Amino acid sequence: MRQERGQRRPLSASVARGLALGTGLAAAGAARRWLDVVEVEGGSMTPTLLPGEWLLVECRSYTRRLPRIGEIVLAPDPRDATRELIKRVAAVDPDAGTLDLRGDAPEASTDSRTFGAAPLAGVRWRVIARYWPPGRAGRLT
Amino acid sequence: MLRNPLRPRRRVHAHCDIPCGVYDPEQARIEAESCYRIIEKYHGSTDEVFRQRCVAVKEERAEMTKHHIDVLWHDYFKPDHVAKFPDLHDVCWKASKAASKVKQTTDLEAAKELLGLIDRIDDMWKATGGLEKTRLNGRPS
Repeated sequence: MRQERGQRRPLSASVARGLALGTGLAAAGAARRWLDVVEVEGGSMTPTLLPGEWLLVECRSYTRRLPRIGEIVLAPDPRDATRELIKRVAAVDPDAGTLDLRGDAPEASTDSRTFGAAPLAGVRWRVIARYWPPGRAGRLT
Repeated sequence: MLRNPLRPRRRVHAHCDIPCGVYDPEQARIEAESCYRIIEKYHGSTDEVFRQRCVAVKEERAEMTKHHIDVLWHDYFKPDHVAKFPDLHDVCWKASKAASKVKQTTDLEAAKELLGLIDRIDDMWKATGGLEKTRLNGRPS
């Protein structure tokens, strides 16, 4: 932490913003268990999210309300429960208790078009920001 | 090496089964044309050994035709394509069936029918993006 403070001045504004988002919020949130950080793997969310990017996610919103169309969420892979998917919400069916997940790159995404609607109960985490790389840091959805 | 403390441990998957997205009914067409020619040669020969080889190779090619049709059907075509072409499932199903018949018999008419069905798949592929969307640099011209 001390090292970061020492380096803050020479770093660009975007790096500082990325670090502030990443460390500040993640540290505060981790303590409260409603914020976490994740790394993107795979290309089905391009060009919005690129493989290797680091994101901030939160799990408080969906204890109070349903996911909304257009939000980027984490959901357990219906075909492999050990894996977490990151996709955009394309539709929500509160009566059936399901939602439709889509990748932003339809030509390179395995999503609800293949595995069908996913259970709402599994969707707890919402993506709120990207903190790395610094040049692309900022709020999402 | 020290682990970057900002790097998330948690991985989320922007998943795609096969991100290559390269498809072309020509692949099926070439195998089916091969079957057509082999059946012609089979009927034009009295050499039993040659005729046996024709049958063996034709069965192998017909199986490959069927595989390529299935890949287009399962992987390339998406629900919005079916909405555009309501007979898409029927045509793909008939093409797979025709490929089975070409595998089982030495009926030239069956091979002709298979080629006709592959051309109908080709029309739907062209109308949903075709070369531009699925081949590198839109090959072949």
